[in-house]
Amino acid sequence: MSLTPVYIICSPRPLVGKTLLARLLSEFLLLKNGTVSSFDINLKEPSLLEYLPRITETADVIDTFGKMQLMDRLIVNDGVAKVLDLGFHAFDEFFKMTNEIGFLKEATRRSVAPIILFVADTDRVSARAYPTLREQIPLKALITVDNEYVVRGELPEAMGLGRVLRITALPSFLKTYVDRQTFSFTDYLRNERDQSTELHQWVRKNYTSFRELEFSLLPQRS
Amino acid sequence: MAKPVVIVVGADKGGVGKTTVSRTLLDYFSANNVPTRAFDTESPRGTLMRFHPDITEIVDMTTTSDQMKIFDTLNAASPSVTVIDVRAGLLSPALASLRDIGFLDAAKAGQITFAVFHILGPSIASLDEIAETANFMQGAKYFLVKNFINDTQFFQWDQATYNSYFHRIKDATELTIPKLNEMAYEQVEVSSVPFLKFVANKGKDDEAANYSFVLRGYVRHWLANVWSEFDRIKLTDLVGAKPGVRGGEK
Repeated sequence: MSLTPVYIICSPRPLVGKTLLARLLSEFLLLKNGTVSSFDINLKEPSLLEYLPRITETADVIDTFGKMQLMDRLIVNDGVAKVLDLGFHAFDEFFKMTNEIGFLKEATRRSVAPIILFVADTDRVSARAYPTLREQIPLKALITVDNEYVVRGELPEAMGLGRVLRITALPSFLKTYVDRQTFSFTDYLRNERDQSTELHQWVRKNYTSFRELEFSLLPQRS
Repeated sequence: MAKPVVIVVGADKGGVGKTTVSRTLLDYFSANNVPTRAFDTESPRGTLMRFHPDITEIVDMTTTSDQMKIFDTLNAASPSVTVIDVRAGLLSPALASLRDIGFLDAAKAGQITFAVFHILGPSIASLDEIAETANFMQGAKYFLVKNFINDTQFFQWDQATYNSYFHRIKDATELTIPKLNEMAYEQVEVSSVPFLKFVANKGKDDEAANYSFVLRGYVRHWLANVWSEFDRIKLTDLVGAKPGVRGGEK
C-alpha cells in the first residue's frame, strides 16, 4: 500500500532556513505530484503563506482546537503529500503533543509516513533538541538538514548519525533574489533558458535530493 | 469459587471525580478481562450508568431493598468484582451501613475483599473525611485518590497536616489521577462512551465513530497513566486476576 508522506520541517531556532526549505519542497512536490498541502505554523518568522498562498494554510498548536484541526488532517492517508513549516516557537509544544498522542504509531497504522527534517544549527538549543527528537523518532525518519548558510562548517557530531540533506549556500545576491515573495523555484526552472546558472543548478540539485529522499524512504506508487 | 471483591468509590464532597475514577476502574477491569458489575448510587439518574449501561445498575443505597440487591448477591453473582460509585455525601453513611449489616466484619475475616477508593478534594475538609472514613477501614484496602482531572491543586493542604491524617490509617495507599486535556474530557462526555471505546474510535454499540485523533491520543495517554497507577497498587492481584497483555494497550 502506498504511503502518504508528511514532511515536518523544524528547528528550535529562528532564521535557519525552514521556510526556504518548505518553499522548495512544496514547489517540488507540486511539480512532481500536481498537488501538495502545506501548513504554516509560523507566527514570528517569514511566512510560507506569503510565498505560496494557493497551497498553504495556517495552523497553530497553541490550543487543543488548533492541534485537532492540524493533526486530524495530517493523519489521513489521502495520497496528498503534506509539508509543515514548523516555527521555532512551536517546536517544543508540537513534539510534546505528537509524543503524547502517539502520532508516529498511529501514522504507521494508517500508512502515513512522517519525515522530520531537522534544520541543524551549532547552538546549545539545537544540541539539546536533537536528542529529544531522537527519543521519539526512528533514525530512518529523522533527517538532518545541513544548511551550509547556517552551519558554515562541520555538523555537530550527534546530528550527523542519520541521513543528512545538504543545502549549499547561495551567494547573497541570489539569496536576496529568491527571497522575493513573487519568486518561484519551479517557474525559474521553466523560464530560465540558461541551465548553467548557479541558481538553476542549485534548484535542480535540491529537487534531485528531494526525489532521492522520497525514493529511499517511501515505496513508490505504481 | 473466587472470593467476592467489592470496591467502593466515594467522597463526601461532590465534583471531585468519583464517577471518572469509577469509569477508569471499569475500563481497567474490562481491559484485564476481569468480569465486573457496577452500581451507581446516583438515583434516579446515574452518570456511571450512562457510560457503562451494560454492566451498571442504579441503586439507592439508603434503602434496604437495594442494599440487599448489592450485598446479598455477592456470592451468587457471576462477576466476582463489584464496583460501587457512591454519590457525594453518602460515603460515611454507606460505610456505616456496611458496618451495621456485618459486611465490614466479613471483610475483616477475609471472606470478602473490600477496597475503598476515597477521592480527595482540594479543601481541608477532605482531611476530616479521611479521619472519619478511617474508623471503618479495618479489614479494607484503603486508597486515597488525589484526583487532578479537574485541575485540582490541593493548595489548601499543608503537607504535615495531610501526613498526620494519612498516617492514622494503617496501610493506606496514595494514588494520583493525572489531568486529562479539557477538550478530550468534554468530548468523551458528549460521546457518552467508556474511555476505552473512545480510544478505539467506537460508538456506543461498537459502531465506527469519528472522534478526533488528537483527542483520542490525549485520552489514550492519560488512561495509560491512570492504569499505571492501578498497576502500581497491584489492583489485578487485589481482585485475584492475573495481569496480562491488555486489549486497550495493543
